[in-house]
Amino acid sequence: MSHNGPKLEAEREESAVGDAVVELSRDEIIEMIERGARARCNMSGAELVAAYRAGRLQDPGEVADLLMLADLLEDDDSFFDAA
Amino acid sequence: MTPRDPALLQGEVRDLTQQYKDGGEAAAWAFQELVSLLLGLTVLHSSSHVYIAKGPAKGRFVLGHPDRPLRLNDQRFLRLTQSLYLDRAAMEPGGPRLKVLESSYQYQLDQRRENWVFRYDYLREPRSPYPYPRAHLQVRGTLKADVLAPGKGLRHVHFPTDRVSLEAVVRLLATEFDVPTNEDTGVWRPVLATSEELFRAIAHRPLSGPEM
Repeated sequence: MSHNGPKLEAEREESAVGDAVVELSRDEIIEMIERGARARCNMSGAELVAAYRAGRLQDPGEVADLLMLADLLEDDDSFFDAA
Repeated sequence: MTPRDPALLQGEVRDLTQQYKDGGEAAAWAFQELVSLLLGLTVLHSSSHVYIAKGPAKGRFVLGHPDRPLRLNDQRFLRLTQSLYLDRAAMEPGGPRLKVLESSYQYQLDQRRENWVFRYDYLREPRSPYPYPRAHLQVRGTLKADVLAPGKGLRHVHFPTDRVSLEAVVRLLATEFDVPTNEDTGVWRPVLATSEELFRAIAHRPLSGPEM
């Protein structure tokens, strides 16, 4: 099955809890949000998340997969201050 | 191929449901297994897998691979995404209770997300002013009646729903969209029914619209 973007490093390593678990680093999460936001919304990942949290996104559901990825970051991550 | 025993599968559903209700990090893995089981009996193509991701934030998980919508047996896709968290204010025998913060089930024609057909969304607690129903359905279609504001299409209408289960979406795909299933109805219907009944007993049900 093809997918968009590079194979995640975490997926190459053996996972102690099984192949179904993907452990993502902060950089990997931000890279995926950024890539998706640029391709689908023509904005940066930080701008997308900021727009959503300010109630300015018309249809958050269309990018729900990207927005939920941000939930894997710490609440005080500097990514949320970047927009 | 011998059909699987629905009674055994129902028992497996009860066990996995109890495991995720017991809380703690193991609850997330049990939840992933349960979703895999339900989709594996029904509409999921054999080449596809239900992933669960974790990141730097402790006690948070995302069900569904960010770059891989699930391939279905009709060669279309289900973008299944759920944001899960361990609620430390609600303790269970195994640890903090596992809760769903948000979920999104989107049926789409291909891996490109703009070619979607319908989407069910649910948000437990929106982070910001959120004008839409916290559980809603959107359909990417065309209204025959000219009743929407200029520039607003049917796809932008958020039809309020109750909390719609994954089981309900699977049934919709199998029965209304004719997605072939991996087991016969005599196997998966009772299994989905058991799973959904257990889910409904504990599911958070939001109001149908904003409170302010």
